Amino acid sequence: MPSAISDSSTLGAQTGITKFTNCLLVRDNQLVTEDLWISTITGKILKSQEVFYGNQAAPDRIIDLGGRIIAPGFIDAQLNGAFGFDFSQEPESSTAYIKGLRSLNRNLIKTGVTSYTPTVTSQKAELYKEVVPHLGPSGELRDPTEGAESLGAHLEGPFLNPTKNGIHSVSVLRDAPTGFADLEACYGATNLLPHKSPIKYITMAPELPGAMSNIAELKARGISVSIGHSEATYEEACAAVSAGATMITHLFNAMRPLHHRNPGIFGLLGTESPSLRKPFFGVIADGIHLHSTSVKIAWNAHPDGMILVTDAMSLVGLPDGTYDWTNGSRIVKRGALLTLEENEDKIAGSSITLVGCVNNFLNWTGASIPDAIKAVTSTPARMLGLEGKKGSLEPGADADLVVLTEDVSAEGLRDLRVEQVWKFGNKVHE
Amino acid sequence: MRLIIREEPETVAKYIADYIIERILTFEPTPQKPFVLGLPTGSSPILIYKSLVARHKAGDISFRNVVTFNMDEYVGIPRDHPESYHSFMYKHFFSHVDIPPASIHILNGNAPDLEAECIAYEEKIRLAGGIELFLGGIGPDGHIAFNEPGSSLASRTRVKTLAYDTILANSRFFGHDLALVPRMALTVGVGTVLEAREVVIAITGAHKAAALQRCIEGGVNHMWTLSCLQLHPHPLIVVDDDATLELQVKTVKYFRSIEAVANECGFGQRLSSELRTGVKRAAIVEELSSPKTSPAGGPVGGIGAKADAFLLPPVVMPKRPVTPELVPDNMASRLPVKAPEVERTIPEELPIQRMGARVAPLAG
Repeated sequence: MPSAISDSSTLGAQTGITKFTNCLLVRDNQLVTEDLWISTITGKILKSQEVFYGNQAAPDRIIDLGGRIIAPGFIDAQLNGAFGFDFSQEPESSTAYIKGLRSLNRNLIKTGVTSYTPTVTSQKAELYKEVVPHLGPSGELRDPTEGAESLGAHLEGPFLNPTKNGIHSVSVLRDAPTGFADLEACYGATNLLPHKSPIKYITMAPELPGAMSNIAELKARGISVSIGHSEATYEEACAAVSAGATMITHLFNAMRPLHHRNPGIFGLLGTESPSLRKPFFGVIADGIHLHSTSVKIAWNAHPDGMILVTDAMSLVGLPDGTYDWTNGSRIVKRGALLTLEENEDKIAGSSITLVGCVNNFLNWTGASIPDAIKAVTSTPARMLGLEGKKGSLEPGADADLVVLTEDVSAEGLRDLRVEQVWKFGNKVHE
Repeated sequence: MRLIIREEPETVAKYIADYIIERILTFEPTPQKPFVLGLPTGSSPILIYKSLVARHKAGDISFRNVVTFNMDEYVGIPRDHPESYHSFMYKHFFSHVDIPPASIHILNGNAPDLEAECIAYEEKIRLAGGIELFLGGIGPDGHIAFNEPGSSLASRTRVKTLAYDTILANSRFFGHDLALVPRMALTVGVGTVLEAREVVIAITGAHKAAALQRCIEGGVNHMWTLSCLQLHPHPLIVVDDDATLELQVKTVKYFRSIEAVANECGFGQRLSSELRTGVKRAAIVEELSSPKTSPAGGPVGGIGAKADAFLLPPVVMPKRPVTPELVPDNMASRLPVKAPEVERTIPEELPIQRMGARVAPLAG
């Protein structure tokens, strides 16, 4: 019988090609039995047939996955921190911040998240100038040992509506009456340079003064805009999409609920015309932020736009207790539930992993595994403008992979487990 | 002609896969002496490849020392087009086994000079030592490879224009758009197939019954190119019950009885490998050409000559070196190390000496 991993000496020349076999690939909307070839040299997925015939190269390593699933590495489009590190924390020093960030990256990847957009909550202007330059895309060196990769920062605020602040401190929220200059004053002009910005997307409330023109300007500079923490009516939300907004930040949370005479931001999922595309939308499927039925409704309304996000805080993985947070607030952690100390009705982010969200979604909706995986891979990649580079098993995409096993309990509960994680063609966790 | 009849396509495929594996194993291929296998595409072969792959995965067979030559390929569609024969072979066979990519030969339908490609292909087959076993299937019109009705039975690898019916039939693979269907193909010729040391053909399904009947019960005819097998020394045809629908009952019974008797004798349908027959042939040739004694004045000498009392004592023949037993190994393996000069000269000198030995007593 062939062993699980064939020795390279039995397979001839060293080619740096690894072949996964006896595995199920998440491809479009199905699981297909197919081999996957990756290059440990380029860290990308190979077009195996072309390599075979064109380069006459064969894999020097064959990995038999025993029927397990290979999916693209997960992308978390909204993560506030983890393992005790908060992206929004006031850095003691630049080196301490970088050290914390690198340690987070190395731990985060073990959960199956191979890339993410570090999210900074509403803060004072000085903090953005300090931390945002550290949060830009970090995959340039393609070093698998660095762990999870930042795809660029997500700035959630501070141009948010004070009445939908969630746990963001109202004291730092602001609007932009004079237009883009206000954004530059807040985030720092160097952080907003066209197509060179460390910022991937910004969540803002479109009904605030000056917001609409800023959406168009940000889009022109290659920075996406997401609607969130907003009182926007349906009409205002449509105007924001027309101006260039492409995303809704944690749908249902921190926005007006669906009203039958004015469907608000949620109404965007019912709208589709050539001039008004349905936006992507983030959903926190931690079982606390949203009722499972709400998730189901949103998914059915726009399955191709749903992005499962954790909105997880730095307290993920820490024991229960009360912890200092930013802007003088404190967060109480009781199990998975995080609330604000001064107002225990306010949910303060989540402490769930992304694969936990995927499992919740699977169990709530009865969706197929590819449908659920899509919401943490190819859909966020499309939202971030990285289609075919991230979140994909197509040739040419980065070989960021997770190997998954599905367990089904006696009660019929489905549970996907992350068993291996690969980054840039190298195994980094098992 | 060996005709093996099995119940279903699955058992046909298994029979052929097992047969090929047995042939490769007894051949004991090495990098210097690879097993050269001719391969087809098509619906019948899919099951055969499946069976071969399953046995490879079970650890029964390695294709590391197998060299392959495919029968044909379309002209003008990209190599990675899902309907190309490159893609077919990759999908159904090559990607699942351990064959080195460099050992694979498939005609390049995008070669700048198609004619040169075909000539080079024949040369590559020759350089590889010829094809040991050519596996094939047939079309409902009895064609083998792309040698459609009317192809010369002496044809070699060449560019072939497809019949309009074939183009129509293929259009289902190209979104029913006739404009996208290839009009030409490169294919090995009937003569190329016939030159293989063994030919194994799979035929399954009622739609191929007429073709099988023509090829076995009919005469050799270029309208049914598979009938060329009647001229081959070692053809093996494996068919399912459905494919025998047009055969005479006595034909079916005949071949079934042959198989039964062969099984009874314990040798099945196994073809003695060239390795064994080669050694044996060399020994016989040696025996025939080296008379121990010769009757007096007998111009033909040699065979069965023995000294009888009433005959004159035999003339003592001049001594000649004994021909070493030929080992039909790879040419390259004979070359190196010890006294290559001497070894190489022996086969060249032998015929000259032998001729002289025979002529001498006549002249005397």
